[in-house]
Amino acid sequence: MDQTSTICLWLAYVLYAAAFAVFLVAFFTQRPGLNRLGLVVAAVALVFQTAALIARGVSAGHFPFVGAYESLILVSWAIALVWHVLESFTRIKAVGLYVMPVVLVLLTLALVEYQAPRALAPALKSDVVILHVAVMLVAIGCLYVSGGAALIYLVEEALLRRRRPGGVLGRLPSLATLDRLIYHATLLGLPFLTMGMAAGVIRAETFSVPRWWIDPMVLLSAAAWAVYVVLLAGRVRGGWDGRRISWLAVTGLVLLLVIRFVAVPYLSGFHTYGG
Amino acid sequence: MLVIVTGISHKTASLELRERLALDDEQSLRLARELLDEGSACEAVALSTCNRTELYLYARDSLAARQAAVAHLARQAGVDVSELEQSSYSYSGDGAIAHLFRVTSSLDSMVVGEAQIVAQMKAAYQQACEGGCTSVVFNRLFRNALEVGKRVRTETAIGERPVSISSAAVELALQVFGRFRDHTVLIVGAGETGELTATHLKAHGIEEILVTNRTLSAAEELARRVGGRAVPFEDLEGHLAAADIVISSTSAPGYVIGRDSVERALRRRHHRPVFFIDIAVPRDLDPEIGRVRNAYLYDIDDLQHVVAQNRHERDKEAARAERIVEQELANVNDWLRSLEVVPTIATLRESVEQIRRGELERLGGKISGLTDEQRAQVDMLTNSIVNKILHMPTVKMKEVAGRDQCYLYVDAVRTLFDLDGGEATPEAPADPPSVEAPEAGSGATVHHLPDTGTEDA
Repeated sequence: MDQTSTICLWLAYVLYAAAFAVFLVAFFTQRPGLNRLGLVVAAVALVFQTAALIARGVSAGHFPFVGAYESLILVSWAIALVWHVLESFTRIKAVGLYVMPVVLVLLTLALVEYQAPRALAPALKSDVVILHVAVMLVAIGCLYVSGGAALIYLVEEALLRRRRPGGVLGRLPSLATLDRLIYHATLLGLPFLTMGMAAGVIRAETFSVPRWWIDPMVLLSAAAWAVYVVLLAGRVRGGWDGRRISWLAVTGLVLLLVIRFVAVPYLSGFHTYGG
Repeated sequence: MLVIVTGISHKTASLELRERLALDDEQSLRLARELLDEGSACEAVALSTCNRTELYLYARDSLAARQAAVAHLARQAGVDVSELEQSSYSYSGDGAIAHLFRVTSSLDSMVVGEAQIVAQMKAAYQQACEGGCTSVVFNRLFRNALEVGKRVRTETAIGERPVSISSAAVELALQVFGRFRDHTVLIVGAGETGELTATHLKAHGIEEILVTNRTLSAAEELARRVGGRAVPFEDLEGHLAAADIVISSTSAPGYVIGRDSVERALRRRHHRPVFFIDIAVPRDLDPEIGRVRNAYLYDIDDLQHVVAQNRHERDKEAARAERIVEQELANVNDWLRSLEVVPTIATLRESVEQIRRGELERLGGKISGLTDEQRAQVDMLTNSIVNKILHMPTVKMKEVAGRDQCYLYVDAVRTLFDLDGGEATPEAPADPPSVEAPEAGSGATVHHLPDTGTEDA
């Protein structure tokens, strides 16, 4: 079963790479119709990745979130899924150009760090932990998309301001569209982040984890949470413009990346992905 | 049989001549009808747009058809045939089909990549079709041409980037705002490009157009034309706060809007972005405006830069479109060639069968002494002789179908057996043999070589 999972994952990986190539060609040649092809290829990749996750879960006998391998697959899966959902509602082009490489990088990390499935550590055998992980995944998916849109916004804004928008015109979504995408993705992601953090706190309190609040991951998550609250408040109440919103979204994204790639492997006390 | 096109376009004829030759729907149909009725062509489509007037014909004698077409066009325009000859062009065979495909793909247009030509070609064809001027060949050929036009638009980015100042300005504004729903544009000055840009913006759904000018009457006049509202020039700064897009094209010697007033206006509108387009020379808008947060400023040079870039991209895409045309040309040519062979074989068999029956009837008296069985044997014998004789030519004809030289065989068979002298084939009404003979010899060798695009301008 684990072998099936690996095969599906490799298929998904190849398909994501193909989708990324198609998006690149679509961007540079502006061939109408290619974007749609890229979306279809990415959707098929997502199906394979879902199959890989299910197979992995069956072979491990639990929800597959244990260890770097499983967690990276889960995170990239969540990002791809959220992006597909947002894309089907908004029909925004070119965001795939950002999402695909992110998914590919995460999957590459997963594939080089392959770990055989193993049993759950006793501390993780808890519905609250599963809820915590699942809800956090959705949040991370949304907030990665929001951060990516913000990066595109900042680049595009700078080019438009410099009056040399040749490479951008008609290829990237408009500034207003990106602004809306950042807002909506954050609006969707923040409640899940809040719920995920609440589930984490409940878990820590019920099992009386000592001094859980000074865990680096907890502190950084709280900081990211605050950034997103400020972003939404500024956008809704203060009428902040796209550039300020974008900088906040990028800050939030950087915090999330630090959590995943610095805090988890090097700093964290108990957040070790069950490792 | 050949496809022929004769006509004038922006590349060969003056605007004056094009105006005189502009045909309305009724005239187009009448012209096509006349050419069919007098036997110059078997199928005809007339296309008339502001940049071209062309006659597409499917005819047996390409030279005669071309002459007739030019004569009709000259009469229509009220000019001498010789005068029209100087500004007209003609293509036949592959060249004509290539021309049809290139026109439909907007590769021959004044602005390469423009979108209207497909619809115009479609209308011209539909009209001819409904008027009974097209048949097997043109029905397929024109549908194919429309598909080529569609393919070029979907598979290349030929029409993606705007190549005029005003549409580039609109595209830039769209890149900022996404769509114009509740947006307001303020036009300062009554210049022509400003008006054109406003019209484009309106077509893209902008809600409110404000027009201001030092002389209020000029502003009111322009406001009426573009469906906007004139506002007093003295209150410029107040309206600046309401505008998402500002287009300035006054003839003022100095700056009309300075950085300070833009900063104040942006504060009043809570720094929602404003897109400034300065199409005046000397400039109307202080270049410092471009440094204000959320203000985007483009002057005429910037817009021209965008247009030049877009043109360059269009040229690259045009080369790709040409390749699509070439591919499609090869497909349609195969079909056209096989089309000729099949009816020719049928006619040949029919004609020989007629001779056989005729001879049997003529012998009727002499073989009357035979029994029914013996008569049936004679019938079988003659039948089998005919079949044996025709077997090899049929096989050989089918072999050459689809090859470049197959016209030669078709023409040879039709001439040698005088197939067009007697009964007409469904697609090819009979021409007098005297016209047919030279065409079969000289015409075929000249016109049916691959890639003949002889321009007889």
